[in-house]
Amino acid sequence: MARRQREIGKAGWGYTLVTAVVGLIYFFPVLWIILTAFKTRTDALAVPPKLFFTPTFDNFVSVFYRASITTGTSQATDMALYFFNSIFIAGTSVIMAMIVGTLAAYAFSRYPLKGNDTYLFIILTTRMMPPIVVIIPIFLMFRLTGLAGSYWGIMLLYTAFNIPFSVWLVKSFFDELNPEIEDAARMDGANERRVFFGMCIPQILAGLAATFVFGMILTWNEFLFALLLTGVETRTVPVAMARTLGGEVGVDYGLLAAIVTLFLIPIFFVTFLLQSQLLRGVTFGTVKK
Amino acid sequence: MTIELHNLTKKFGALIAVDAIDLDVSDGEVLCLLGPSGCGKTTTLRMVAGLEVPTGGDVFLGGKKVNALTARDRNVAMSFQFYALYPNLTVAENLAYPLYADRLGKAEIAARVAKITETLQLHAVLERTPDQLAEGEKQRVAVGRSIIRDPTCFLFDEPLSRLDVQLREEMRGEIKEVLQDLSRPTVIVTHDQLEALTMADRIAVMRDGRIEQVDTPHNVFQMPANLFVAGFIGTPQMNLLPAIFTGAEGEGKAGFDIEGGQTMVIQVDPRISEIEPGTRVTLGVRPRNLVMSQEEAEDSISTKIDLVEPMGAETLAHLSDGIHDLRVVTDWRVPITEGEVVHTRFPPGATHVFTADEQALRTT
Amino acid sequence: MSNAVSNRGGFGAWLLDPKRRGALLVTPALTILFFMNIFPLLWSFGLSFFNYRATSLKVPIFRGLSNYERVLTDERVWERFQTTAIIVSSSVVMQLIVGFLLALMFAKVFPMRRIVLMLVLTPMMLSFVSVGVFFKLFYEPTFGIVSYALNFVTPEPFVMLGSQQGAIAAIVIADAWMWSPFVMLLVLAGLVSVPKYLYEAAEIDRASAWRRFRTITFPYIKSLLLLAVLFRTIETFKLFDIVYIITEGGPGSSTETIAVYLYRTAFQFFKTSQSSALAYIVLFIVIVLTNLYLYSVNRRAEEVN
Repeated sequence: MARRQREIGKAGWGYTLVTAVVGLIYFFPVLWIILTAFKTRTDALAVPPKLFFTPTFDNFVSVFYRASITTGTSQATDMALYFFNSIFIAGTSVIMAMIVGTLAAYAFSRYPLKGNDTYLFIILTTRMMPPIVVIIPIFLMFRLTGLAGSYWGIMLLYTAFNIPFSVWLVKSFFDELNPEIEDAARMDGANERRVFFGMCIPQILAGLAATFVFGMILTWNEFLFALLLTGVETRTVPVAMARTLGGEVGVDYGLLAAIVTLFLIPIFFVTFLLQSQLLRGVTFGTVKK
Repeated sequence: MTIELHNLTKKFGALIAVDAIDLDVSDGEVLCLLGPSGCGKTTTLRMVAGLEVPTGGDVFLGGKKVNALTARDRNVAMSFQFYALYPNLTVAENLAYPLYADRLGKAEIAARVAKITETLQLHAVLERTPDQLAEGEKQRVAVGRSIIRDPTCFLFDEPLSRLDVQLREEMRGEIKEVLQDLSRPTVIVTHDQLEALTMADRIAVMRDGRIEQVDTPHNVFQMPANLFVAGFIGTPQMNLLPAIFTGAEGEGKAGFDIEGGQTMVIQVDPRISEIEPGTRVTLGVRPRNLVMSQEEAEDSISTKIDLVEPMGAETLAHLSDGIHDLRVVTDWRVPITEGEVVHTRFPPGATHVFTADEQALRTT
Repeated sequence: MSNAVSNRGGFGAWLLDPKRRGALLVTPALTILFFMNIFPLLWSFGLSFFNYRATSLKVPIFRGLSNYERVLTDERVWERFQTTAIIVSSSVVMQLIVGFLLALMFAKVFPMRRIVLMLVLTPMMLSFVSVGVFFKLFYEPTFGIVSYALNFVTPEPFVMLGSQQGAIAAIVIADAWMWSPFVMLLVLAGLVSVPKYLYEAAEIDRASAWRRFRTITFPYIKSLLLLAVLFRTIETFKLFDIVYIITEGGPGSSTETIAVYLYRTAFQFFKTSQSSALAYIVLFIVIVLTNLYLYSVNRRAEEVN
């Protein structure tokens, strides 16, 4: 059976069409969420569900401006605050984790200690371990020290949360650098600080950016600890979203969709730009292509 | 079963890798595609195999146009430069791999594997996987996997390039023996002229996507069609001397002026009479054909020996007349010393003349 | 590694000495981790041996292993383990199948591949809460699209979350949908790492598609598949967010995963010590799995080098 000769591993527009269809089917739930963000409250809960409707920007506006939308169980949406909280808490935590983590990663990579593998293993395990195990004591700790409901408490926790991930990811970047370049710099008289800040860091800048972004995504999506440890003023978006589910009817899906869509924008950016780093980020640096 | 290429072209974007070449390989013939890297030889081979789609022109196998056929349907056998041995299979399984498509019985497959093992002396490594093999062994398995079949033709991509010099010598002989027994057209791609000269029935010298000359190894060596082939084939490289043709001198001799004032009268191809006196030409002489003499002659120029390189059974001398450098190879017993002034003779029949268009002036 | 030592004397030099440099750099990270992870872990461990309740003011009494005993003999606990096992295995299997198929699809180079790939990667980047909230809407009998779509077949509104099977399916679908792209990424990395010339050789050798897959492709992705399975199993085992949001463990308690059950025990019933004991058992399982995972990672790293 003779077939049309084609280069192995390549395909044309016909194939693109097929994959696009599959991709869109897979993407459909996300698409629906985005559409919902533009729906009015009645449209969002229309029976049967509406695919075509007149769009509105009201929901996006509501996210940022204080607006009381009374629902059956009266949840005044203070989304602007929660939005800010999420970003502020996540951002600070991730940055702190990266600072501490990068130093540690540098050490693990360049100055291997005796128990290197053990330390790394422990660090990874703390990330893998079920949050449930630590949540009880942490809850107690926070209650005792008055950290519950404060910014510092949850930020400290999230920093610890992000350290393993930062360490593993950044270490994998350091491991890929050529040590000969650093040695050459040292022989030229540069002291350790110059080698680190002047040579190593600039080379992995892209990787650091990727680490930051992944860390942000993981952290601002976090739910369990935020649920237990944030107070009314420090509440983050995921918790706020969950709380609105209290009453069945009257959940403002349009508003929630708007929030998700807003969060999606940076995610789209990231996914597109960092496709090559994606695998590393998602497996916490344990797998590289 | 023959291979015919008509006007075959391959472009990668703006880059023309293969430029409208014509080539025929007859049944049982071994043809070598020889040339420097980037000349298009591997691309040509892959188009014959069906791994690259031609941009223009046609490929015929056994008289049938196969442009549209996949590699699989062409039933060609190919041995890759990087061997492409299946990493998780043993040598025996690697060898047997292509036979499954022929739907042979187990006994038949085992028999053929045994025969190849015998031919290529692979007894010791039959149960090993590729990562446990030495380069030479990998190469033999790759070749074995090709010849175990009964395909329309055999294609070899740089079969010996990854072997060290000694292994190469051994394998050259072995492969040549194996190739004698095959009765299908065989195309070998190589950049090593020694391989081409020893293994091929005919050589196609390629440069920049074009075929410069197709001929037997003997002819390509003795009668290069142009400057490129002359310079490419033969080690040490042929001496190329720019000169001005001053006129025919009768008896097939011609006079030449070279820069620096020296002149000589040497015997060259009779077609020299076709060109005008005063024309610039290039004279080509192989190092082994030049003769160093103590006496001046009409076909010699005066040179000084700059450097003597003993090469064992032969000696390579670097000479210079002050402007041009010449290399001469003589028997090791000839006494020469550095700094000595000798007369370098251009004996009859040793000199090739190349005109300004780089073509050889030759009576065919 | 440099041996350049600062010329200043005293504590500064001692601190910056190359031998200590490594330790110094690692200290801040390890300190934070210690206080926020290790210390609570140990505390939790300690708690599990007492009968502490966070709400009562009574002095805790040492109970030895009785908490562990209680937990391991509690039928409800075993039920939850079972539920969790069903959810984990269903979800991971689905992720494997879907992820693998998607990877096959993306293994070729075609126009606009990056953009289509992006479409498929997005679900992974959403938060569990977003997915939970909206999938709950999808599953809604009156307003949800799932019910709407099925109305073409059955006349009544479809209550996905009404039965245990339906609820479990609801969770599994949401989780698998989110994380199949993860498996896809891993398998894709493997597929792409196969040298092109092996496929060319197979084409020349006239191997069938299935043989090609079996002898060339599969060995390359075997280790990555294992990694994917282990990683996702560990993560799904800890599943809390999605379950809590979509079903709250219901109907009744039929979809309570271990994590949800732990949460309830600790924060609704405040049986602090007992939940610590259970938490430790869960931790033990996770450590074993993580060990397996890291072992695979090392094997893979060796393979690649």
